Formats: sequence, structure tokens, C-alpha cells
Amino acid sequence: MIYRVFLLFFALVSSVFADVCATDDAGHVLCLPTVAQRIVALSPGATELMFAAGAGNKVVAVVDYSDYPPAALNLPSVGNYTRIDMEALLALRPDLVITWVTGNPPAQVELLKALDVPQFAIEPRTFEGVSSVLERLSTLAGTEQQGFAEAERFHAGIAALSEQYRNAEPVSVFYQVWAQPLMTINNDHLIGKVLQLCGGVNVFGDMPRLVPRISAEAVLEADPLVILTGSVGGVSDGQLDRWKNYSRLKAVARNNLLFVPASLISRPTPRLLEASKYVCQKLDIAREH
Amino acid sequence: MSTLHTRDLIMNIPGRQDGFALNLSIEPGQIWGVLGPNGAGKTTLLHTLAGLLPARSGRVMLDGSSLTGLRRRDIARHIGLVFQERQDSFPATVMETALIGRHPWLSPWESEQGEDQQRAQQALATLDVDHLSNRLLNTLSGGERQRVAIATLMTQNPDIWLLDEPTNHLDLHHQVKVMNLLRDQTSVRKAVFLCLHDLNLAARWCSHVLLLYTNGEACWGPVEDMLVLKALERLYNQRLTTVEADGAPLFVPSIS
Amino acid sequence: MTRSLSGLAAIALIAVLLALAIGSVTILSLELWQVIQGEGSALNRTLIVDLRLPRTLAAFATGGLLAVAGALMQVLLRNPLADPYILGLSGGAAVGALLAMLAGLGTLLISGSAFAGAMLATFLVFGLAHGTGSWTPTRLLLTGVVVAAGWGAVITLMLAVSPADQLPGMLYWLMGDVSYARTPWPALVVLGVSIVLIMPLARNLNVLARGPMQAAALGVSVRPLEWAVYLLASLLTATAVTTAGSVGFVGLIVPHMLRLVLGNDQRIILPASALAGGTLLVLADTLARTVIAPEQLPVGVITALLGVPMFLYLLHRSR
Repeated sequence: MIYRVFLLFFALVSSVFADVCATDDAGHVLCLPTVAQRIVALSPGATELMFAAGAGNKVVAVVDYSDYPPAALNLPSVGNYTRIDMEALLALRPDLVITWVTGNPPAQVELLKALDVPQFAIEPRTFEGVSSVLERLSTLAGTEQQGFAEAERFHAGIAALSEQYRNAEPVSVFYQVWAQPLMTINNDHLIGKVLQLCGGVNVFGDMPRLVPRISAEAVLEADPLVILTGSVGGVSDGQLDRWKNYSRLKAVARNNLLFVPASLISRPTPRLLEASKYVCQKLDIAREH
Repeated sequence: MSTLHTRDLIMNIPGRQDGFALNLSIEPGQIWGVLGPNGAGKTTLLHTLAGLLPARSGRVMLDGSSLTGLRRRDIARHIGLVFQERQDSFPATVMETALIGRHPWLSPWESEQGEDQQRAQQALATLDVDHLSNRLLNTLSGGERQRVAIATLMTQNPDIWLLDEPTNHLDLHHQVKVMNLLRDQTSVRKAVFLCLHDLNLAARWCSHVLLLYTNGEACWGPVEDMLVLKALERLYNQRLTTVEADGAPLFVPSIS
Repeated sequence: MTRSLSGLAAIALIAVLLALAIGSVTILSLELWQVIQGEGSALNRTLIVDLRLPRTLAAFATGGLLAVAGALMQVLLRNPLADPYILGLSGGAAVGALLAMLAGLGTLLISGSAFAGAMLATFLVFGLAHGTGSWTPTRLLLTGVVVAAGWGAVITLMLAVSPADQLPGMLYWLMGDVSYARTPWPALVVLGVSIVLIMPLARNLNVLARGPMQAAALGVSVRPLEWAVYLLASLLTATAVTTAGSVGFVGLIVPHMLRLVLGNDQRIILPASALAGGTLLVLADTLARTVIAPEQLPVGVITALLGVPMFLYLLHRSR
């Protein structure tokens, strides 16, 4: 907490006297001569984070699928996060480009570097990381007040949930990221951390890969109490129907094939707080079954 | 003017025992006819003489030097070969095909000059195919293609002409024309060596004859000594009758 | 002869200028002229000199390299259906590149790895075809096709086990993408030097097309020529694939189309292939980056969509 106040103070002071600086998630320090006014977000998550940091009105372009908040839909797109239209990007004369460490194509990111376009690479992997990135982005954009406040709100909310579910009865969970091929996540993934927050035990949590591809047999062997997946609006759709064939599965027998809104849980943004509340509620339902 | 000698040459015919050792001397002004049934090795002999196939033993000497020691380009300036079969995956025009004959004479950076074009033009005219100059090779008849191949050899203008059954596919008029052309070459001191199916052509036009038997036996010599009925009947495994026509012997199969 | 080549050169120049003028951002010809003269706004200068020019030159070089390699392969294998990838070169390059991507290496090392993979594939096929005794184009072709299938299996394996976030990058590399080319100069230099090296051999190739025995009879050293052509074609293909991934179709179609129109003289076909292949890829890449902008398409999609109807039209007309 004290650390945060210090950072805020330092940020406010520096913006008066010196360059605006921040360290990105790839370890590079970026210093801008003044706060950014024309920002391009090269991932849907980055778009959300910029708006959450209070800098939404400074974003001049996004990429495809940047659908939250709704205001982002009115912004021009510079292509897909895997293949960017460099001309369109440069024509907007951005003074800050938010890139995605593992998502944007390295060749194009290098081209940006070669053309001296200031860029900031993000990839939050923990709740702390989400708070931190909000603060750093708001520093660069000069919107520290909203940014730090949002970071604090997120942090407090996660802490409260963590406290609430600290002693909750552990529930074994299988989170299905994709049906075909069958994919899940381990505990290093943000979704895995959401599960842990709510007292869930990810049956594939210890797998070495971030997004492992597994077989149906592995799921049958693990026999989780809950099978969870993301869907549009959290509505029940057909993605988990295949499990109904296995009536012996605990999750099927106790009617624990559950859904959460995909867009809340899939991005490293403050909406993870709502996602976590949702997941925790669902796990509570499962505990009662 | 060049001479082609063979010294104890035994051809390499896969699967067949060593044949007779050939000691031929192909000199300027001679037309050699090679006669024999299918499978006797006529084509193999021709390819060996051109240095395209290795011999099983013995040597082929061009002007006293063994062929194996010479560069391909030098050989091509002295020896030319008309093949029996041709490949056509990338057909060129008739004129381009004839011009190819100048390849051994041009360095890599040169392209064909006026003189080369003239030679090719003349050669095509002599073979009666100059009116087809711009046609693609694969649109011609078998006989026309044969004549273009011979025109290419003429453009190449080597001292020693090797031809593998050049009269195949040709009509009577052009058979005679080609044989006359070959005889004309000998009168300018070239040496001609050709494989023939038709023994009567050999009888009328060749100065020397080589008989190749299927079992590897061979005999050779001036035409008047070689065209002996018994030897020919054994060669073709066919009874023959001979008559005289136009001052030369004529051989026909005896049906009785 | 020189008339068709100068015509192709003029078309190539127009294509390059078009590529510089057209893009997601509209630049008027007047503005283009200003930039060429060294003036113009900073944005236009960046767009044209830093973005479009290297990309266009890389596209031209890649197209030229692939078309010449295709022409050489067709003569070498005496088969009009041969293309530069038929002997498994692009497979080897792909395996090299994908391995480097999996290892998280930088783009320079990915390119280097692709090149190394391509040359490894070349020598592998060379050694396998050579070592089994008598060598014929058919034997080379069969060896190459089998090895290519092997590479394909390895690539499929790598795609199956790679982490989900790396897949898009790998797939785009496999589809062929000129936007990854950081500098066009290696490719342009290789293309230029190769054309100079191959021209003295061009007539020999004409003779070789008549068949190996016929060529030998006309003074061509067949075996050394065939290996030289094979190595050169491999170098050209390796350079192209290293620059822009495996762009399909150009190497097969361009020499073919040119042969329908210009005949079979390699002294014309080889330089014409360089010009026409370069032009085709420049036009295709211009379309790929603008037709549904800001979405960017892989250039291989466009070469196929453009090339197929063009080829069918020429085929129809030549009857």
C-alpha cells in the first residue's frame, strides 16, 4: 500500500519535472518526453486496459475484436493482432503503441522499433500484474488519477474475494478453453489463478505448458467435480455436451457443467474481478450440489 | 579431316558376353554401313564410337588420341551423331533446332552470328525442310523430324558423321536424297558411319560394311567382300535371293 | 529477343512505381514524385522509403528468384510441371524456421535457420540421389518428392505440438508473407549475381533440353552442368524462402506462361522469368496489403488467384 502511494507521488512529481517513464513487461524502460496523446492498442486486452486506465479518449486506433468497452467499437482498426497494417498505423502518427509480448508478430514489432515508434509491451500474468500494468499505462498517458484508482479498486476487490474464499472447501475443476482440439490451462495462466482464488483445484494445474492440449481420457481419469467453460454471456451452449455421454463423471452426475462469460475471463483486464466473482459463485453452487 | 580407329574394342552390352574385338578404321572418304538384326548392338556401337558410352575393353581413338582423354566439346567438333530416338519435352522451332548444331563451335558468351544462321538455313534447304523453319518440332511428321535432325548434323559440320538408321520414316524420294547427301560428304573427305536396316541401301551407297551378329560375332571390310549371300543369310536368319540391278546387287527375302 | 525483355522490364518498372504509390494510405503521384526527389512530408517519406520501398523490392526479388528457380528446375528435370519446391527445399527451410520460432529466437536467426534448413535439404537430396548409383532426373525427382513428404510430416508434427500462441506466426510463415522481409538487399544481390552466372550456361541448357545423350553429343558436359544448375536453383529457392516464407505458385506458373508466349530459348526465358516473376509478386503483394485493408492477406493467396486465370487464358489462346 505504502509502495503504491510512493509510486503515485513519484509519478506525479516526475510528470512535472522530467520524462514520463515506465518499465514494460519485457523488461525495457520506456521514457516519453511528455505524456502520450495518440495511443494505438495492438490487442483487445490492451484496448480495455487503456480505457480502464482512464486514457480511452487518447486511443486513436485498435485491432480487430476490440469490442470492450463499447466506445472502442467506434475506433479505427489497424488489422489483426497477428498481422498489422503498418501503413495505417504510421499514418495515425501515434506517440505510443501498446504491444503484446507473445501475441504480436515479432518481425512487425521490430519494424516499429526500427522506425523509432515508442512502444510498450504488456502481458500481465497475475492479478498483481494487472494492477501494475494499469498504473504504468496511466503514468504514460498522464491519467494517473483514474488509473491508480482503478488499480486499487481491482486490487481491493481481489483481496476481498481471496479473504472470503480462503477457507472454502476445495473443489476440483477442469476448465475447458476449447473443445476441438481439447485445450485447458495450467495454474500459471490467469484463468488458473481465478480458479485458485475461488478455492478451485485445477486438475491440470501442474502441467508444464500454459495451454496444454489434452485427451478426453485425461479428463475422465481426473474426474473433476466441476467442468467449466467460457461462453457468450455465460449462457449454456453446446460446448460441454460431449461430457454428458460419460454419466459416471462426477461433474455430470451432479449437474456441474457450468458456464462463465468468455469475454470477462479471457482477457488480462480489471473485468477479471467480475469474472472471479462469477466463477466463485458457480463453484459455490457446485459445493452445494 | 579426321580418322576414327578402334583398337580391340569390345562393346559393353549388359547381360551379354564379350563379343568380337573390333579393329575398325574409319577414314575420310569412306561410308560405312552397319548391318545386323535387332539387338545386335548397332546403336550401342554408335554411342560407344561417339564416346557417350564406355567400352567394356579396348579403345576408340580419334586422330590417334583416345576418346576418354578428350573434352566433350573437342569431340563434338569432330564427331556428330544423329540418334534414332529423340526427346521433345520442350519443343523448339525447326530453325532453333538446326542452330543447336553450332553449339560446339561457340564459346559460352557468343551467340549465333549471321554465318551460323546461313549454315543452318542451307542445311535445312538441302533437307527440304526450310519451309518449316518457324514450326515447332513437335508439330512435324516423323519423316520431317528425321530430316531436321540430319540438318542439325549438317550444321554442326563435323569431320565424322555417325547416323543411327537415318532413313527410318523417310519416303523413298528422301531416302535417296539423304543417301546421296551422305555420299557427297565423303567426296569432301568426311567419314560417314551409319546403321542401316535396309541392306540394299548399304549395297548401293556404302563403301565399307560391318556385319554385327546377335551372338557378338562381327566381320567387316569393303562392300564387295562383305555382301556374301551365306553371311547375310546367317546374319538375318532368313533365306535370301540376290539379283543385279543398276550395277549393284539387290537382296530380297526368299519365300520359297 | 531484346524487344520482349525490354517490354518486360518496362512493365516491371511500372509495377514497382504502382506499388510505391498504392497502399492503405493514399499518396498522390505528385507526392510520390516529391519523395523521389528527396522532399515531401515526413510521413510520406517514412511510408514510401521505410515501408513500401523495401517491401516492394523484397517482393520483386522473391518473385524473380522463384521464377528463375522454377525455370531451372523444369529444364533440369525435363518436366514442365516442376517447381522450385518439388525437391523438398521449402520443407527443409520451413522446419528450420519453425524450430527457430519454437526456440523463441529473433527474426534474424529465424531467417538464418530457414536458409540452413534449405541448404541441408538440398545436400540431403543430392547425397541420396547421388549415392544410389546411376543418376537420372527421375531418380532425383522421386528422391526429392519422398524427402519433401518427410519434411511435411515433420512440419505437421511441429504445428501439432507448438504452443497455441505461436501457431499464427508459424502458419503465416508457411503461407508466405513479404511483410516479414526486413531488407531486400541479400535477395536482390543473389538474383542479380545468379542471372549473370547463368546466362553463359543458358545455351547449354537449350541443348540439354534435347536430352542428355543428345546434349553430350553436341559437346555439353552433362553431369557437371546438371549439378551446377541444381545447386544454383537451390540457392535461389533458399534465398526466396528465407526472405518471404514459402510463396507458392510463382515458380511453376511464370516460366510456363513465358514459354507459351516466348518459346523455349533459355537465353530469353531465364531473364524474362526474373522480370515477370518479380512483377507478378509485386502486383500480388500490393493487392495483398490493400484489397481488404486494414486486414492483411498472405501474398501466396493472391498469386494463386491471379495466376490461375492468367495461365488458363494463355493456355486457351495458344491452341
